[in-house]
Amino acid sequence: MSKTLLNLLFTIYATATLGYLVHLIWRRAILARTSLALVAAGVLLQTGLLGHRWWVAGYLPVTNLFATLFFFSWALALIYLYFELRYRIRATGLFVMLLNLVLLGGALPRDTRVSALIPALDTPLFSIHIIFSFIGYAFFAMAFSIGVLYLCQARLSSVMLPDLPTLRRINEEAVFLGFGLFTLCMIAGSLWAHIAWGHWFSWNIKSVWSVLVWMFYAGMCHAKFIRRWQGGVYAWLSIAGFAVVLFTYLGIGLLLESNHPLE
Amino acid sequence: MASLDRPSKSLGQRLWSFGCSLKLAIALASMATALIMGGSLVMHFNPAIFSGMEQEIMSRWLPQAWAQAPLLVLWVPLSGLCVLLFGINTLCCLIDWLFKIKARWRKTGEYLIHAGFILLVIAYLWGSIGGFRSGPHRIFPGERIALPNMPEYSLQLDEFTPRLEPSGRPLDMINRVSLWQDGELAARALVRINHPLIHDGLVILPTSFGQELQGFRFHMPGRGYVDLAAGSRLPVSPETTLVVLQLLPDARQDGQGRVMQVSDRLNNPAMLLSLSGPAGQLWQGWYFLRSPLPGALQEAGLALRPTEPLYKTFSLLTINRDPGDKLALVGSMCIAIGVILAFFSFYRKRAQGDRPEV
Repeated sequence: MSKTLLNLLFTIYATATLGYLVHLIWRRAILARTSLALVAAGVLLQTGLLGHRWWVAGYLPVTNLFATLFFFSWALALIYLYFELRYRIRATGLFVMLLNLVLLGGALPRDTRVSALIPALDTPLFSIHIIFSFIGYAFFAMAFSIGVLYLCQARLSSVMLPDLPTLRRINEEAVFLGFGLFTLCMIAGSLWAHIAWGHWFSWNIKSVWSVLVWMFYAGMCHAKFIRRWQGGVYAWLSIAGFAVVLFTYLGIGLLLESNHPLE
Repeated sequence: MASLDRPSKSLGQRLWSFGCSLKLAIALASMATALIMGGSLVMHFNPAIFSGMEQEIMSRWLPQAWAQAPLLVLWVPLSGLCVLLFGINTLCCLIDWLFKIKARWRKTGEYLIHAGFILLVIAYLWGSIGGFRSGPHRIFPGERIALPNMPEYSLQLDEFTPRLEPSGRPLDMINRVSLWQDGELAARALVRINHPLIHDGLVILPTSFGQELQGFRFHMPGRGYVDLAAGSRLPVSPETTLVVLQLLPDARQDGQGRVMQVSDRLNNPAMLLSLSGPAGQLWQGWYFLRSPLPGALQEAGLALRPTEPLYKTFSLLTINRDPGDKLALVGSMCIAIGVILAFFSFYRKRAQGDRPEV
């Protein structure tokens, strides 16, 4: 993958983020619209780059840290676009796109080469597992961003941010969609483990923490029925949940060791 | 007062309400989550105790690990208990919903997820008690082995072909295997990476492969090349025959002349040879292939020069059995269908302004 195109992509997203920041100060609608257009252009470029890598490799190239960060960033930008077009949450874009810049910024200095696929990963179940996993993660990242904004809005009552009921609805939707997609990721992973290693549940640390992520968000899907937890507590849970996601995605690989095939 | 007008619940009703309670579900799930979080770190920092967790089913591993370090493995039964109680709580919720399905049919997706979760818990328990994990088993092409814990079954490796990259990196291990039950062919399949043989809860899959020294190729002046392995017979003259009785890949001779095997690796190979004639055995002794041919053989007119080792490839196959795997598959399908239905009902309910949405 061309470093120039990657830098261009980063610049597009950085400009969009800056646009949202300036929009927050100057409150010009054109700035928010331009930022949205830039995000859409970034998603298009990133989709093209991802598609090209997939076509060149012959398999979904999400097998190292560069590729997972790149895919995560793409999924987050795409999901932000979905929520923006659905709810017009403009100022919210600042925080989500900042998170996206962190992901893409983490990918930029890494080796972009597509490595040879290890035989155990050569199955469509792997691609399904990965796609659902990172889109699920992206929804959890969205829920985290919205949770932070909910807590900010609860203190600031700013006209620049969506109202609390809207933020709560978006947060609940992000958690629910993320949980559903992550569930499908777990099912694909279990089927794959059964045919690759002969058991559908593995006790390796990454699989165990994936189950913890699933249980945490399953709990969150129930927690919103508890009246006292709706809103603020739910926002805090979204933040805590994303910490569990980050540990599962990055922490285990960087701090510990696992025999999960993507380590 | 309204509370005085409401009929009080019986003990059974209160117990049932408690069993279906959302707060109980959250408490049990939180406890299980906290225990597994802590336990996963204990597991990571104590590989000597927990490394066997993947190689054995839970009902075999847990008593062994408990005997070694009960405090370190305590989280496993405790979290298992929490998950089991959580499963019972989920079952109560599901039954409660079934009784009210006419009014709550829109939640079919969500309750299919509940049903799938219960099936997965039962499937894991079933597999952890009634299954087994074994291997890797070293099998040579043509060899047949009896399955551990299932003596009515035997597995034969009909053919084995490893596929390698030009660099030597293994790409695949293609095993043509046949599974026999009480002498009858039960299944035949091509087993390779990500393509196991699945039959009656059994999963047979390739793990690795290797090579074992089978014999040596020798050059005989005037006769060309001959391959000798244990059991080979080589006519030396019209009257005498050389027989290879044994082959050791790495051998040494002690002070009293006894020859013993040092390792499985090819290092100092030796052959136990016997030269026999019409009157019986003429000579028997060890030939260390790094040394000259023993004098008795040279005197018999034999000239042998080892040129290359001959290897026999074997496959390493893992054989696991999980009687709950079909139930787990049904549970997974319930969950997958449940998720898709729940997505549709979520947006439908949102469009109708129905809250809470899920």
